[in-house]
Amino acid sequence: MALDSFPADVTLRDGSVVVMTPLQAADSGALLAFYRHLPEDDRLVLKDDVTTADWAEGFLRKVETREVISLIAKTGGRVVGEATLYRTLHGWTRHVGEIRVTVAPDFRRKGLATDLAASLVNIATDLGIEKIIVQVVDNQTAARRTFEKLGFHREATLPHHVMDVAGMKRDLIVLANDVSQIWAAMEAANQDYAPHLS
Amino acid sequence: MTKTEIRVGGLGGQGVILCGSIIGKAAAIHGGKQATLIQAFGPEARGSACSAQVMVSDDVIGYPYVKHPDILVLMSQDAFNQFIPQIKPGGLVLYESELVNPGGQVPAGVRAVGVPATRFAEELGRRLVLNIVMVGFFAGVTDLVPFEAVRNAVLDSVPKGTEDLNLKAFRKGYDYGREQATLIS
Repeated sequence: MALDSFPADVTLRDGSVVVMTPLQAADSGALLAFYRHLPEDDRLVLKDDVTTADWAEGFLRKVETREVISLIAKTGGRVVGEATLYRTLHGWTRHVGEIRVTVAPDFRRKGLATDLAASLVNIATDLGIEKIIVQVVDNQTAARRTFEKLGFHREATLPHHVMDVAGMKRDLIVLANDVSQIWAAMEAANQDYAPHLS
Repeated sequence: MTKTEIRVGGLGGQGVILCGSIIGKAAAIHGGKQATLIQAFGPEARGSACSAQVMVSDDVIGYPYVKHPDILVLMSQDAFNQFIPQIKPGGLVLYESELVNPGGQVPAGVRAVGVPATRFAEELGRRLVLNIVMVGFFAGVTDLVPFEAVRNAVLDSVPKGTEDLNLKAFRKGYDYGREQATLIS
């Protein structure tokens, strides 16, 4: 899936439609508003303070250099979800990408997180990224299930690694998806001498 | 009884068998018809001759071997050279236009239509989906099995995670096939 296949209309489980599109400079105000309206608990699991104009400016710079691929979901000019693929353009983890998905509370349980994550997985695969990781806190059960449905599995657990607003320490789970295997499976399906005809 | 005999030919590694399998699945599982598939491939993994025989019928198929195909789907020059003499009078040849040069060998009365499936697949990002472009092209030109039936067969047959690109490849081939169908009809 190439970025030029966006913007794309996405119909959610409740029938509502959002537009999924790569983040552009013009969206920076709407993106900031989205993050500022997130519950504090949700923002705490993010690595950066996403409510500041400085963060938005720096984030857009990384989008321009393709260090970061950001997809947003919009409806009526409002950003209701954002998914980011972080990647290292050089060095020994240049084959690895990390995904983060955030959805507005009133747009959860509608399949939007799955759609955003699946799109980013496809984009990552087409960019040549071979392994994608995502970090979830142990009580983010829905998020974990979303990624497991997309082929992610638990690769590591860091005990008591994060602390919530109440000061409670929780385990951080690293989920991974070896996406290089996805197209290897297609190649295997095309091996005419030993076809898979299930 | 309407019976259509199809031969898919190409090189090992092009997904010839998968192409034939999807056509058969589309007819039998999603299209309410009967279908059989017979596959043949050379001793080498890649680059050797490879073909699939697909029979699609409204009735039970008693003999699954394709001797004189109504439709040829060809993805290599060797396959073209080998199978073109077998085509039924009035038959249809669908070929990969950048890998096959018909060179005046198509018998009179046989329609031949090409598709640059490899180029389309590369434009979509992966050469690997050229066989799915061919499946779409087959569906678009022949209309033998409904669009949705073939689309569902593609979805059933490709590995998880590759559905999106494979469906695009299918659509690309299908749309091109529809255009060509109007030109040859």
